[in-house]
Amino acid sequence: MSNTRPIPAEGPAPVVLIVEDEPQIRRFLRAALESEGCQTHETDTLARGLIEAGTRKPDLLILDLGLPDGDGIELIRELRSWSGLPVLVLSARTDEADKVQALDAGADDYLGKPFGIPELLARVRALLRRAHRGQEAGPVFAFGQIEVDLAQRLVRRAGETVHLTPIEYRLLTLLVANAGRVLTHRQLLSEVWGPNHVEHAHYLRVYMAGLRRKLEDNPTLPRHIRTESGVGYRFVA
Amino acid sequence: MHLHRPAGPGPAPAYLWAAAAVTGVALLALPLRDRLDLANIIMLFLLAVLLAAVRLGRGPGILAAFLSVAAFNFFFVHPRLTFAVSDMQYLLTFAVILAVALITTHLTTDLSRQAEVARGRELRMTALYEMARDLSAALSLEQIQEIVSHFVRRGFQSEARLLLPDAAEALQLFPPGNPAAAPPLALARDSARTGQPLTGDGWHLQPLKSPMRLRGILALAVGPGPWQETPEQQQLLETGASLVAIALERVHYIQVAQEAQLQMESERLRNSLLGALSHDLRTPLTALVGLADSLVLAGHLPREEEELAQAIREEALRTSALVNNLLDMARLQSGPVTLRKEWQPLEEVLGAALQARAPQLAGHQVRVELAADLPLLELDAVLMERVFCNLLENAAKYTPPGSTVTIRAEPDPCQADRVCIQLCDNGPGLPPGREQQLFEKFTRGRDESAIPGVGLGLAIVRSIVEAHQGRIEAGNLPEGGACFSIRLPVGNPPALPQEEA
Repeated sequence: MSNTRPIPAEGPAPVVLIVEDEPQIRRFLRAALESEGCQTHETDTLARGLIEAGTRKPDLLILDLGLPDGDGIELIRELRSWSGLPVLVLSARTDEADKVQALDAGADDYLGKPFGIPELLARVRALLRRAHRGQEAGPVFAFGQIEVDLAQRLVRRAGETVHLTPIEYRLLTLLVANAGRVLTHRQLLSEVWGPNHVEHAHYLRVYMAGLRRKLEDNPTLPRHIRTESGVGYRFVA
Repeated sequence: MHLHRPAGPGPAPAYLWAAAAVTGVALLALPLRDRLDLANIIMLFLLAVLLAAVRLGRGPGILAAFLSVAAFNFFFVHPRLTFAVSDMQYLLTFAVILAVALITTHLTTDLSRQAEVARGRELRMTALYEMARDLSAALSLEQIQEIVSHFVRRGFQSEARLLLPDAAEALQLFPPGNPAAAPPLALARDSARTGQPLTGDGWHLQPLKSPMRLRGILALAVGPGPWQETPEQQQLLETGASLVAIALERVHYIQVAQEAQLQMESERLRNSLLGALSHDLRTPLTALVGLADSLVLAGHLPREEEELAQAIREEALRTSALVNNLLDMARLQSGPVTLRKEWQPLEEVLGAALQARAPQLAGHQVRVELAADLPLLELDAVLMERVFCNLLENAAKYTPPGSTVTIRAEPDPCQADRVCIQLCDNGPGLPPGREQQLFEKFTRGRDESAIPGVGLGLAIVRSIVEAHQGRIEAGNLPEGGACFSIRLPVGNPPALPQEEA
């Protein structure tokens, strides 16, 4: 699995900032991240988190949404006004609307509590790799049997050219460019159809179904284009 | 209903007054009959006729005319003291007097009737205007009822009752009670059904039609006998009725808005309460799972202790699943739940559930057969995913490894407006005779079995399916194995975007 690939070995150890008010959770997060070769900083309030995000220059922020001095979504909004730092949200809330709010505010991914450490590390790796790859993205992106040639606007499956409609192609490139992140319905609709179509989620779903039929081995159990019910889609390379 | 009579003396005195006026003129003119010209005497009589016609009305005016002619003829025209007429031109004089009397009375009665009509119209307009003003400020049915009673008393000199539909859409007297003078309900329902005004049993029933629908019946007490209404009254009643209907509709929507607000508030409160509970229950479970994982991943535990750490992890995750089920059940059972329905292909929801239950189903064969002509369905994706997750989890728990789970979906062959989704396995099947009981809370297929669970999964499934106006049934296949069938309404799927390939 590509998700077990280690965090980039070259360069200095990635810095992860943990903003979480529950000490026991901080404790195992720290242990897990350090075992992966990350350097960690911790804080338990929104106000401190924002300051540390500025001073520590972390490569990733792990953020609990329910903090004692406010809502983590506020921190994301504030942070996004001056930083593109990847944000992984931890949430004990049941309501999908909270996740959507956090993602629309600029979070990159979320993890519902409780979660296992392997799950956490997979997400952390994906986000760190994304940030790392950002600088050296080539024109061809490959996953499974699929190759997306961004320069030639061609998609091949096991060597055969796959014919995509313009909207399908646009959706696919958007997903590929955001591999490892969760994109909300609103984000995808507004990128592909324009901001006036954010209510037309069924357009999106129908095109996603089409894309899966063309690219996935088993469209009912997709490997790459995953559904996050009530939230959006996650592309897994 | 009747018009007011003109003000003035009653009929009998009016005729006496007319006779007295003519007698007075005759008595006044008699001593002067040799000094005054007959033309002037006739003027005096004409004056009496005119006054009688103006003041006393048509009948007395005509009487005055005849008496004047008789008195003039008898006392003043030669030969005097007889009714004989020597000069035929006096016949013209008589005719003129009579004509003056008739024309005058006609003109005056016409005028006074017009004045009367104008006064009545003004009264009704004032009543209507005041009712419109009062209704625009009315916030409750009681206020409307009071305003209507006042209006009907002023505009029709009559008593009014309101009949409004109750919760079951049956017309009832408002306010309830007061059986002493109640309009006939059966007739009112007829009027409501046809939307036409009806009269009977001493009541006139006017339907209250608002732009949206019939809001009730306005009943006027009209006494026995047929109901006679003038066009003005009919118009007044119709205008008044539509004003009342609009006011009733407005009050209805005020109530609807208040109820919606209340429901929203209570759901918000419930959600924040459950949210807080969920947070407090999940936080320690998260620590448990994470700390157990840390022990295992650190990699320096003896094998047996590593297994203990794994067991702690599994138990914590199971507790978490139980917490999820309990919270879901609490949310679904504590009041109406607002579904976040969106149009979507069933395949996507099903796929999300299969993804989530992939670990449990790792040892099973899963077959998915979706009809090609399956329409988009309007579903709450999160809740519907729970439905399939719970059913898949049951299938994984209650069938031996290697069993096959088949999911089939197609337009319902029996009902064109439904889609039928079946989830069947080839395991041991459900305990016969208990198929429906399984959907009750805390009911399990096999009591005290080694398979973990408290029996909430299917109760949640049923609540969610029913919230979607769907139905779920459980049964056993003839060839063995359990089968759950969900029927969901199709609705009106939206048009899809067209794109050139």
